[in-house]
Formats: sequence, structure tokens, C-alpha cells
Amino acid sequence: MSEKPTIEVYKKNIEDENFQAYKCVSCGRIIAPPSGTCYGCGGTKMEWAKVSGKGNLVAFTVIHIAPDEFQEETPYYVAIVELEEGTRVSARLLGVDPEKPEKVKLDIPLKLDYEKGKSGHTYLAFRPA
Amino acid sequence: MPLKNTNVVSAYQTKFGRLDGITLREIFAEAVDGATNNAGIPKKDIQAVFVGTFIPEMLVHQGHTAPLLVDYAGLRGVPATRHEAACASGATALRSAVMAIESGIYDTVLVASAEKMTSVTTNKATEALAAAADDEFESSMGLTFPGVFGIAAVAHMAKYGTTEEDMARAAVKAHKNASTNPLAQFQKEITLEKAMTPRYIAWPLKLFDCSPISDGGAALVLTSNEKAKQYTDLPVKIIGTGQASASMNLCDRNDLTAFEASIAASREAYKMAKLGPKDMDVAVVHDCFTIAEIIASEDIGLFKPGEGAKALRDGVTALDGDMPVNPMGGLKAVGHPVGATGVKQAVVIYRELIGDAGANQVANHDTGIMHNFGGTGATAVVTIFRRSDV
Repeated sequence: MSEKPTIEVYKKNIEDENFQAYKCVSCGRIIAPPSGTCYGCGGTKMEWAKVSGKGNLVAFTVIHIAPDEFQEETPYYVAIVELEEGTRVSARLLGVDPEKPEKVKLDIPLKLDYEKGKSGHTYLAFRPA
Repeated sequence: MPLKNTNVVSAYQTKFGRLDGITLREIFAEAVDGATNNAGIPKKDIQAVFVGTFIPEMLVHQGHTAPLLVDYAGLRGVPATRHEAACASGATALRSAVMAIESGIYDTVLVASAEKMTSVTTNKATEALAAAADDEFESSMGLTFPGVFGIAAVAHMAKYGTTEEDMARAAVKAHKNASTNPLAQFQKEITLEKAMTPRYIAWPLKLFDCSPISDGGAALVLTSNEKAKQYTDLPVKIIGTGQASASMNLCDRNDLTAFEASIAASREAYKMAKLGPKDMDVAVVHDCFTIAEIIASEDIGLFKPGEGAKALRDGVTALDGDMPVNPMGGLKAVGHPVGATGVKQAVVIYRELIGDAGANQVANHDTGIMHNFGGTGATAVVTIFRRSDV
């Protein structure tokens, strides 16, 4: 846990279903997706941080038309999720019907999950807690 | 202090749409000729060119476009630099041109732009457009451009009660205004029912909420006070300009119902012009999606947050309304050749202010505001124009 976080490892951690955020060494702020500079104090030293996996739903869309790489997966949700630790991430949203987005309520509690896509990638994902 | 020395003295837009058989450089050259020779401004008077184009590398396999384009357009030897800020490329080129004149380095410069998007497949064009979002953390999980604006729409709907029908009204207005604009890609009015056709691109955005893939170009000549009257009796002054950036990732924004860079850029432009939203007679805003027009009209202060949809419903933003927005049809119906859009928007303001907008002329036309943003609002540029005789 002491090595300097990099984007390559951040993405590999998601592929390995072991999501970790950045944490500012100076002020402790949790940051994800990665930033080279802390949004709070301007610090540039980062370390890895485990997160609780709890979050809530800020907003979402359902993608129907996608680039070739993702078209087979449509329709799928992409959501903005606020983690308990305060940072917000983009993630796939699971466990809700993509044909009935009008039923999905904002601000509901979510828990961390992963989705193995047909594209071959593993996506950061959340589902209703 | 309001800017004092920058005058728009000519403006030209090519036809927007699918321009089969016409390449990027030919589109660019038509725009340049339209704003120079054909407007009575000799090319030899142009001291520098500010080029707006987004991603010719992917669309037509061409980099280093500025010297190539100006050479083809008969301006060999003139210093030329390309400005890239995704959909705000045009307005960043314009802003740099304004700063060049205000600095006193040049008297007369050209702002010229073009994008050729239909020479590749729609999927390839979509991939090129996606380069304006964060590839590592947004595009790589399948979040598309319509998707990002779909998220903004969901947030706006939840907070303010904006509806899919409200957004459809923006499309109906755009097509109505474009129906009398011969340069528009779509010149047919559509009904509200048609605009509501449930062909979802990124829920809640449907086909008619999205601007199209287009080819096109536009150009402007800017000059100092000393030279302006050589070219026209009625220059239009640029009196305020503002620009701001925001996070590339939508998830890093605190408020998804507004675009903070648009708010910051407009504040700077109003402050510089010593004017406020109530002083504006006409607005041209970046309606890449219908929800973007509603939010932009709030972000630049024409309406309070959450009241953009009501203004649209009440006809306030119609061509004959109290605060016309996108009087010639916007990106939605005129088309969106990405790098050319910000220059085309300035062409619209110029034509409206000098009273040359034909069937699309707004009633009051002393002062206008233009809002152009890039990607998902990571770059925003706001420019305020006023007719020189006001």
C-alpha cells in the first residue's frame, strides 16, 4: 500500500475487482477517479485508500446507442455515484431494469459491485443496497 | 472595462449538412472567401488567421491544419494557428483573435473554421466526438456524449421538474427557426409529437434531442477602430469576453444541473462589458442537445436556475419572444460541424445585430450574447457583441 498510485494500477484494480481510491497524504481527502492534485488542499502526494463500497445515486442515464465496442451491451445504465467517503465516480448501475428508468429513484443507497462487460473489460459498478 | 477596439466587419457561413464531394480545405476556403474578397475585404489586409477545428486527425486524417487550410484559401505566408477546445474550438479561436487586436499586435485578422465529419462512418464520427470526454474514466465504460447530457437532464428533471416534453419544445423551436434558414441542415418544421418519438439515444434524450453530424465552415474578419470604417458603415463591436474551464469528468462536478464554466465565463464577459443579462436583446447558446439550451439559458443568467424550461414553454425564447434564443435554429437544426460551430454562432449574432437576418430577424438587435462550450462543458466561452452605433 505504500507505492505511489498510478492510473494504470487504478484501472487494473478495477479489472481485478479490487477498487481503491486515491487518498491525499496531506489532508486525507479521498479522490476517485484519480487526480494529480488534491481538490481540497492542493497536495500532490497520494496513497491508496480502501473504500467502504457504500454510496448513493446522484444521477444516471441509459445508453441505447453506443460506440461499436459497447453496442452489444446496450441498453445499459451509467450513473454518477457519490461514495460515502465524499468523492463521486461514474459507474455502471446494476440490478435495475434498463427498460424502466422512470422507476429508478435518485438518492437511493448503493453498494459497490463490478460488471464483466462483453467488451472484455470489467467496469466499476454499483447496485441498490 | 468594456473592450474598445475590436470590430466584426464581415461574417460568412457555408451551408451546413452533408456536403458530399467537398473536402475540409474546400469548405474552409469558401468560408474565407465569403468573409474576405466577397465582402470587399482584400486578403492582403489579413495579418493573422485564428483557425477553429476540432479533430481533423480522426475525421480526415490530417494534422497541422492551420497552414494547410490558409494556404489553400489564398493566405500563404500569413501566421496561422489552430485552436482546439472540442465544440468550443471556434470561440477559443475568436477569443484569441480579440486579444490579438486588443493587444495592438494586429489591426485586421481572420477567424476561420471548418469541420468535415461525414467522410467517415457515423460510428467513427461518434468515436471522434468521444475524444472530447475523458477517455480513461468516462468513455472507457461506455459513457457517450448523449449519455453525459442525459445525466444532466435527469438531474435537472429531478431538481426542477423539467420534462421530456420541455426538451422536445426546444427541438420544435430549433426546427421552426431553421425552416427559414437556407444554410440549415434541417429546414423542416417538426411537431411536438414527432419530437417526442421515443427513439432513445441516451435516456431521457431521444433522437430529436440531439444535434446532427455535419460538415460546414464559417469565418469572420475582425479589425481595429482605425480600420473598421474602411470595410463597413456598421461594424459590430465585441465588448466582453470570458472563458473558463471545468473538470473533464462530469462526476467531479458538484452540481449536475448547471455547467459551472458557463456561469464563470458569462460573469467575466458581463463584467467586462459592464452589462447584465437584462441588457441582452438576443442570445445564441450551445444547444448540442435540447437540455443544453435550457441549462445554458440559465447559466448565462437569462433566466433563474430551473426556469429555462418555463421560458421555452411560454415562448419567451421564440424568434418573436422577449428573449429570443438561437433565432436561426441553433446546433440542433442548423447542424454542428464541431470546430466551426463557435464561429458560426458569431456569424448569427453579427447578422442579427446589423439587421441582416431576413426571415429570422429579431425585433430588438442592439446587443447580443453568444455561449459556446466544449465537450461536456469543460471549456466555456461567452462573448458579448454590440452594434457600433448604439
